Amino acid sequence: MAARRAVVVGLALLLGSSAFAQPSSQSTSDSPLVDRPNGPKRAEVERFALVGGTIHAAAGQEPFEGTVYIEGGRITLVDRIGGEPPAGFAIIDATDLHLYPAFVEAFYEVGAPAPGSPGSPGTHWNPLVTPQRSALDATWPDEGARSGLRKLGFGVVAIAPDGGIFRGSNAVISLAEPSDDASGHRPLVLRDRVGQVMAFESSGWGSNRQYPTSQMGSIALVRQTLLDARWQSRQEGIASNALTPLEDEGVALWFDVPTELEAIRASSMAREFGRSAVIVGSGTEYQRLDALRREADQGDLTLVVPLRFPKAPRVKSLAESEAIDLGTLMAWEQAPTNLRRVQAAGFDLVLTTSKLPSGIGGRSGFHGHLRTAIEHGFDEQDALAALTTRPAALLGIEDHVGTIEPGKLGNLIVTTGPIFDKDTTILDVWIEGHRHEIGQPEAESLEGMWELTLAGRFRLDLDIDAKGKGVMSDPGMEVAEGEEAPTTKATLDRTLDTLTVNFDHEPFGMPGVFTLTGTVTGDEIVGVGARPDGVAFEFTGARMAPEEEVEEDSTDEDATEDDDDGPPEDLGGYPFGPYSVAQIPEQETLVITNATVWTVSDAGTIVGGWVAVADGRIVGVGEGSPPMLEGVRVIDAQGRHVTPGLIDAHSHTGTWSGGTNEAGQAVTAEVRMGDTTDPDPVNWYRQLAGGVTTVNTLHGSANPIGGQNVIQKVRWGAVHPTDMHFEDARPGIKFALGENVKQSNWGDRFTTRYPQTRMGVETIIRDRFIAAREYAANGMKTPTGRTDLELEALAEILAGDRLIHCHSYRQDEILMLCRVAEEFGFKIGTFQHGLECYKVAEAVREHAIGASIFSDWWAFKVEVQDAIPYGGPILHAAGVNVSFNSDSDELARRMNIEAAKAIKYGGLSPEEAIRFITINPAIQLAIDDRVGSIEAGKDADLVIWSGNPLSTMSRCEHVFIDGREYFSLETDMAHRERIASERERLIQKLMREQAKLPEREVGAGTDDAEERPRDPHGVDGPTRLGVYAWFYGHDGRMAAGASMCGACGVLPAEYLEMIQQEGR
Amino acid sequence: MRIATALSVSLLAAASAFAQDLTPRGEVPDHPIAITGATIHTMVEGADPIEGGYVLFEDGRITDIGQGDRMFIATTRIIDGAGMHVYPGLIAAGTRLGLAEIGAVRAMRDFAEVGSIKPEVRAVVAVNPDSTLLPVARTNGILLVGTFPSGGLVSGQAGVIRLDGWTWEDMTANANAGIVMSWPSVRQGYRAFGGGQPLTEAAVRQRLEAIDRLFDTAEAYRDARAADPSTLIDLRLEAMLDLLPGVEDQKPLIITADDVERIQSAVTWAAGRGLKVIIRGGRDAPMLAELLKKHDVPVIVRGVHAFPRRNDSPVDEAFTLPARLDATGVRWCLAPRDVDEHVRNLPYEAALAVAYGRGLGFDETDAMAAITRSAADILGIGDDYGTLEVGKSATLLLTDGTPLEMTTRLDAAFIDGARVDLSNKQTVLRDKYTEKYHRQGLIERDN
Repeated sequence: MAARRAVVVGLALLLGSSAFAQPSSQSTSDSPLVDRPNGPKRAEVERFALVGGTIHAAAGQEPFEGTVYIEGGRITLVDRIGGEPPAGFAIIDATDLHLYPAFVEAFYEVGAPAPGSPGSPGTHWNPLVTPQRSALDATWPDEGARSGLRKLGFGVVAIAPDGGIFRGSNAVISLAEPSDDASGHRPLVLRDRVGQVMAFESSGWGSNRQYPTSQMGSIALVRQTLLDARWQSRQEGIASNALTPLEDEGVALWFDVPTELEAIRASSMAREFGRSAVIVGSGTEYQRLDALRREADQGDLTLVVPLRFPKAPRVKSLAESEAIDLGTLMAWEQAPTNLRRVQAAGFDLVLTTSKLPSGIGGRSGFHGHLRTAIEHGFDEQDALAALTTRPAALLGIEDHVGTIEPGKLGNLIVTTGPIFDKDTTILDVWIEGHRHEIGQPEAESLEGMWELTLAGRFRLDLDIDAKGKGVMSDPGMEVAEGEEAPTTKATLDRTLDTLTVNFDHEPFGMPGVFTLTGTVTGDEIVGVGARPDGVAFEFTGARMAPEEEVEEDSTDEDATEDDDDGPPEDLGGYPFGPYSVAQIPEQETLVITNATVWTVSDAGTIVGGWVAVADGRIVGVGEGSPPMLEGVRVIDAQGRHVTPGLIDAHSHTGTWSGGTNEAGQAVTAEVRMGDTTDPDPVNWYRQLAGGVTTVNTLHGSANPIGGQNVIQKVRWGAVHPTDMHFEDARPGIKFALGENVKQSNWGDRFTTRYPQTRMGVETIIRDRFIAAREYAANGMKTPTGRTDLELEALAEILAGDRLIHCHSYRQDEILMLCRVAEEFGFKIGTFQHGLECYKVAEAVREHAIGASIFSDWWAFKVEVQDAIPYGGPILHAAGVNVSFNSDSDELARRMNIEAAKAIKYGGLSPEEAIRFITINPAIQLAIDDRVGSIEAGKDADLVIWSGNPLSTMSRCEHVFIDGREYFSLETDMAHRERIASERERLIQKLMREQAKLPEREVGAGTDDAEERPRDPHGVDGPTRLGVYAWFYGHDGRMAAGASMCGACGVLPAEYLEMIQQEGR
Repeated sequence: MRIATALSVSLLAAASAFAQDLTPRGEVPDHPIAITGATIHTMVEGADPIEGGYVLFEDGRITDIGQGDRMFIATTRIIDGAGMHVYPGLIAAGTRLGLAEIGAVRAMRDFAEVGSIKPEVRAVVAVNPDSTLLPVARTNGILLVGTFPSGGLVSGQAGVIRLDGWTWEDMTANANAGIVMSWPSVRQGYRAFGGGQPLTEAAVRQRLEAIDRLFDTAEAYRDARAADPSTLIDLRLEAMLDLLPGVEDQKPLIITADDVERIQSAVTWAAGRGLKVIIRGGRDAPMLAELLKKHDVPVIVRGVHAFPRRNDSPVDEAFTLPARLDATGVRWCLAPRDVDEHVRNLPYEAALAVAYGRGLGFDETDAMAAITRSAADILGIGDDYGTLEVGKSATLLLTDGTPLEMTTRLDAAFIDGARVDLSNKQTVLRDKYTEKYHRQGLIERDN
């Protein structure tokens, strides 16, 4: 290593003028911001020439050798010819080194102060809405944080205020270290008010419940606030307030999101207002890539992606692996593929060092993770762009940073090699033409045979190996035949260029410890030593040229690395994890024949009937031989029954991640369940497997007026969350009465929110309807002309455009809402639960489309003491439209049995009972033109049952939605097999790592392995379930007497055939 | 339109106008009763149903069962069971009926005593005979229930009660079916509702040591009492004596454990101490069948209305547990998942196990055994209940089909030979509001 650290130009030279200097070049210390010097002004070196390095001027460009000139903080010339620098430049020898543009960190959170105490002038009512905050008011990242970023190669950082929903604007600042002299350099602010930083924050359901308590509430608040800002931009006479920074719709919205689903939600929100979105993501984008792609195609979306890799799950014991879900295993393996896949999907992603979990080393693990991502196929030039040109452009500072070009800031990284290589060290980061020393080049190895001469006479040889261990020997010593020359261990200590050697001289003559201390220069050493008796002497030494060695075979360690399987196969499909679907099933043209068809229409139940499906619709139903059989799929449903897809009019599936309740206020009509649809939970699939095809996703019952519901089809594997939504369904909204809304069971702390009684519940509902009536009368505007999303939803109820689905139990409150409906002139959609509807059937019949109730729930709280399973049948008999619902992900898997309870408790005919879970809820949700019965023209949402659907001993075998087969026993079987083999593979992979067992090639070498049966259900021998089998102790055999594998729960094909033959 | 009442009892004249909590308990008549011409499902292991059979019972006990015609003494009340079926009364092995009325109301909860170790508390003494929940379960053929205390490490003594009686003493079929405890683990419990929280290793060790110490102390106490009868009585330790090896009629420890780790360590520990054990939960029991059989440990499966353990588990994992367990030869019975107001749905959980377990060889007879004979045996009342046999209690159902099917009608039920009222609070409310709509003309009156 050359003495590259020396600045070889004398100070005097700097005072001369430079032929290279741009006329506009300005000294960085010539700034109005700096103080007068304390004493004589110190001259600073401001002209540098980095000579002879490999210059990577910009991502995607071929590197070249040359010289970079920096003057006054900016790059003035990038010289490819490499002539001698003119006088006046401090020359930095960059021979053998690499120069890169310094990195740009696009997202770094800082604690910015709140703009004022609540209620102070200009503030928003919600403390989480603080768009007026500025990152520049924040505490500057401390020295540790700044140097931490510099060590990674960053020259500038975009700081963003943390905490809140509207968090304020971000700004780009330089990471140059300020001079410790008040008159010296002060780092630049490159750009202020870059974007508005946001997050869908909420208080959660903890003890400190404040609006919003849910993500959907947070989204509703964002929507209302952006509307308000738009309104305000058209007003006059408002100087400045919290909303002012939001008025310019050209400012991008920067969303900090923790999941890929939130990324989609954030993008949709920005798109709704025609604004650019920058998503600071989760590292899990690959799990919803196609939906993100679709978002990007429809709007302006940039992804800033962290390198979040999950910690390897522990699976050493059976109990541990049994507790681990396949999705967790897959996420562990697949996370490093994220960058490549996001890039391949057409996103020019930007990298950030933020969000690296401290459990895996935090920010300092950045380069290691990036290397892992590169090993998983992420292109190095993309990596460089994602750290330089792209963030520079995103932040609008591309004229200043991102490349090594004249005119740009002198922001460079100097490295010992290609920047993403494992062995490369970052030596310096130059920022604004100031050099920040980061790393030392690795000290040169002392390995080799050193011939020492002590006191000019005595020869000793010091053999230093690759690990720095030394052995001393005397080459002049005579050794008897067959004996080895004596040696002694030499301990070495090295400080910079000084080497100290201690050794026991006993084998060579004088007993006792000798010490030698010398200065190493290349292959030479010169120094002084001392004998045990204290007599000092000088010594010299030289390293002998190494003997030519025959290339050895790679060591064992290398061999192990070679055995590495390489990057894993990409696992995809939606939703990510078990039961994922690679492709939404095709829309089929098909005929189901020989079935008992429950049409749930005037056609009744047809024994020996058929149903024909094309283009997602039912095209015919009949008895006997179907008309169309040529070239279409025919399902012979001999002995089987076909019903319409089941409809669950009360579901909360997929709401847990976005919140089921917005409990922060008594009235939250502005909240929309559809904003936070989560297609991931496996409970969707489980319900599908029970024949459910349509659900009404309702807000919870925490407040008298809750959020807007969304009707969804159980389109498992949907690419985009909104693909689940039932197209053009009539809007609805959740209301709630009784114990939940008056907080009876919330705990003793919750006694102050209005209402606390059923009296107050009526009052608040009537009060809001009066306000909504005024709002409607004012042309759907507030008196000042604002759009109020809460009143808008309520006014839609009054207009008959939005249906109320009202959680209710007691007859008094049910009757109350009927009277409110009468007063305001609208029809109620449904009473949900409505367990005492049976006591006021005459009112329910008149004022609601129907009652959507539990079949037999009761006694779980005070207000349901009088609930009876006869309620549904009584209402039905009294002429009320009745449906049975689940309100439970568990119960929703067996709604057919719920319907049978109408027979048990009310003596209904089977045809009447099945209506409770098909056409009746369809009517209640106003979707009966599309679903709920088997009639030509309706959606082909069909279920094939093994027997009578109302029998407790039947099960669902096929489910079609829109003419697509979303579930069948065969596809379920395929899922199970795939899950079993993926689990086996991943657990084996982890277990080998964790138990530190050597890799073993399956099927190679041993006879035993070759004979291993490939079928996991093979009756003999160990299975490919491997670890499972031996832990379970059944050696891969079926559990005794059973035909299901006890280890993996997979149904063997024989079972499938058996149940199909049995017919039920 | 008219509404049919599910309980069109025509075979026997009996008043059912009032809810059970307002009517006297059933009375054992002073004459024999014979149900004739019915299919008798004795539920005796391996026995086929008796077509065209009869059951004769007197003074609460079955005196004869047979096929075809038989002469009865003149006083015998004969019930024509032609086309009907007779089954033993259904038994719900683990519930908390009688101990809780409305779970949301603290004053109505009597199932969890304070503290961690309380073997001394007895469930039966807290059973409220007038709970509205009991007759509702009975209306669906559940005639006996295990009622279990819960909470803490050692929860107390489980009882078995008949769902008819003036007092809890009348109702008690087994005052101590075992002592309920939960097994601690560092791992989270079943993911479905009620899944336990994970504990630290230290917390688990501390609990396991506490249990061991409890048994050590109980043994020392037993010896001390034997050596010196004036040793002061300790109620907690006194309750432990029935569990100790060597005692006459040793009671089981009913240990709640679902996962493989818990079951394994609980059974191994108990076997080492010579204890009798019942595992309650048993999700992973099929994996440990050999261990369970070796120590003759039965399993009370806590229903099938549960989620699969993991997201990647087979969607019907909980539904097939009975079939998978049954196939291993482990002794087991089925308890309802819900322990309160939904106990009445126990037969439909058993039916679901058939729907999803047929392919594994699990049939309706197996399902019925799990809620009659096996439940009785595991709850320690097998000598009197669970099957229809001469000498056993006449606790039985008269139906028009299998109790597993939703549409099956229950026409009559007998507990210890007394016919019980099948009405309840809910049927009274039904009748009350049906009458309202009769008067309003919304529902036609029955003819």
